[in-house]
Amino acid sequence: MYQLTNVSKLYAKGGRTVPAVRDLSLAIADGDWLAVQGRTGHGKSTLLNLLGGLDRPTSGSVELDGRDLARLREGQVTRLRAESIGFIFQTFNLVPTLSAAENVETALIPLHVGAAERRRRVEAALDAVGLGDRARHLPGEMSGGQQQRTAIARALVKEPKVLLADEPTGNLDEDTRDEIINLLEKLWRERGLTLVLVTHDSAIARRAGRVGVMSKGLLTIQAGTRPDPATDPVSS
Amino acid sequence: MFFLTYLRRELRRRMRQAVFIALGLALGIGLVVTVTAASAGVKKAQADVLKSLYGVGTDVTVTGPAPKQHRPSSGPSKEGQTFKLGPGGAQICQNGKCHSAAGQTIDNLTASNYGPISQSKVAAVAALKHVKTAAGGLALTDMGVKIPKNFGGPSSQPPTPNSFNVNGVDTSHLSLGPLSAGTVTSGRSLTGADAHSNVAVVDSGYAKTHKLKVGSKVSIAKHSFTVVGIVVQPQSGSPPDVYIPLARAQALATAGPSGKSLRNEVNTIYVAATSAADVAAVQAEIKHLLPGDTVTTAASLASQVTGSVSSTAKLANELGRWLSILVLIAAFAVASLLTMAAVSRRVREFGTLKALGWRSSRITAQVLGESVAIGILGGAVGVALGFAGSAIITSVAPKLTATIASSTGQHVVAVGGNGGQQSFSPTVTHTVAVPMSASVTAGAIVVAVLLALAGGLLAGSFGGWRIARLRPADALARVA
Repeated sequence: MYQLTNVSKLYAKGGRTVPAVRDLSLAIADGDWLAVQGRTGHGKSTLLNLLGGLDRPTSGSVELDGRDLARLREGQVTRLRAESIGFIFQTFNLVPTLSAAENVETALIPLHVGAAERRRRVEAALDAVGLGDRARHLPGEMSGGQQQRTAIARALVKEPKVLLADEPTGNLDEDTRDEIINLLEKLWRERGLTLVLVTHDSAIARRAGRVGVMSKGLLTIQAGTRPDPATDPVSS
Repeated sequence: MFFLTYLRRELRRRMRQAVFIALGLALGIGLVVTVTAASAGVKKAQADVLKSLYGVGTDVTVTGPAPKQHRPSSGPSKEGQTFKLGPGGAQICQNGKCHSAAGQTIDNLTASNYGPISQSKVAAVAALKHVKTAAGGLALTDMGVKIPKNFGGPSSQPPTPNSFNVNGVDTSHLSLGPLSAGTVTSGRSLTGADAHSNVAVVDSGYAKTHKLKVGSKVSIAKHSFTVVGIVVQPQSGSPPDVYIPLARAQALATAGPSGKSLRNEVNTIYVAATSAADVAAVQAEIKHLLPGDTVTTAASLASQVTGSVSSTAKLANELGRWLSILVLIAAFAVASLLTMAAVSRRVREFGTLKALGWRSSRITAQVLGESVAIGILGGAVGVALGFAGSAIITSVAPKLTATIASSTGQHVVAVGGNGGQQSFSPTVTHTVAVPMSASVTAGAIVVAVLLALAGGLLAGSFGGWRIARLRPADALARVA
């Protein structure tokens, strides 16, 4: 469970201090799906970085299961990310020289999993995203949707508690977008993940349990309006 | 192993850059290996010249102080023998008394280069702490000349002197001194039983010039010596022409200008140290024991050798070394800059790995591994280039020459028509042809490997430093 209390993040820019996140207090329960919307530059990615321990707040606390990420040492935060937090990026961020299987394997390296166990888990993760037959393909040999599936497999192979997705469909066409969102939702349900998803797409945001809107560093939480999958084109 | 898979794939992706960096390092390392090999070759050439002078196994040589030169303005020397040429004809001055030299044969064995050292000092040197063994010797010159009866007349021609170097060898310590380096090609060497016999071993070059063979006779200080062996030195430097037992040399020779007998005297002590590391200590101990004498090591003697071998040594040691260092610095700088540039291009990749939970040290190790692999490749190519460079030097380099100046042991006074005098002690120079052979040593290969690793580690360290400073949020934001 996430508990954010009075979190602010300020950046110095051109001699001025710019608040990216302002006095944000938020609780995200285990298994919750929070969609974050907002215009570019209003603090969505900063919030995701704070939740993932990739950045530290200027003030306030970001607790994950009672551990304040702002107060942990760098090594401890790194360990926490390796064990508990999966990331999905808009641009996939796959290592171009490594195959799909090897890219997925990178997530298990910090956990010191044995080679045989790594192979087994990588195979299972790729099967789960429907890429069992593409394990040896390089990113350049795969479509955008396949690359994002590989990235999802990489995020989930370590069986994290939290999945943080930064506009995961931003670089995909509409059909592929639906395919990826359906996959994420399926995995979220099956694995009981806590999912925080940043998106510009209101159709995707509506499928989350809760929707938050970031504006000038302030987050406003709206009630979830989960549509009926039978009538919503995104969920079909 | 994932580390190697990742490393191999990354190097394959950056093949051209990796090859460029490796070739830069290879060029620097190849130059270092070549220069080291050339330097070793020159040192070996110098050592060969020095061996022919002082023999194998001699670490330190002690020589007596050079005798004081006779002053021409003071008239004939009151001691020793002086040969005068002037308007009155040729004169021999012995102990201050001069008489006509016309029709006489002069055959003197003298020690003009070095002053005498008491033979008891040889034992004292041998007893020093870091000395393994010591042997005395006499470096002498036999000068024989037949003065024509009409010498000094209006149409007389100057006589042609016959001068050759003689070395008195301690037959109980044949492992030290110039004879130790020689190889007997005919007859035998001197033995302990020859200590008081008129026997001689002759250098092959001198024997050839004077048509000497085993059984021939050589006149030394008007005494007939039987040639018992012909010896050849490893390098045809300026070895003594004739080797005779030390006791006979002491009995026949006189000290240069003074004319004093050299019985119980030597003018050279050949010293072997207990180990190469002790040479400096031995030098210091002997200087303390014999403060007035000259103590020479192979290193200090090398500085007295001139000629192209010396120039080449300077070239290899100074220009070659600095050129290698400059190329290495350039190669290291290029490798470091390219590695930094590669890290900058991979910011997103490293930021992602950090987001996945990779520690900075793990990513740094990956980059270091890539740099070291390039360094090892550069080292391997560099060693190959070094071998090639050495082979080229060996095949195309002309023979080097080493020039060693030494005194003839003679003192000539020329009297002018106005009564003025000029005197000089002529020296002869021996120019030795030394083949230049550059060979890559195991030490040079070790240096090459260390340089390759250093180059790789240096370049990787810069990359690692950049990675350690990389904040994952910044890295990922830069992509977005």
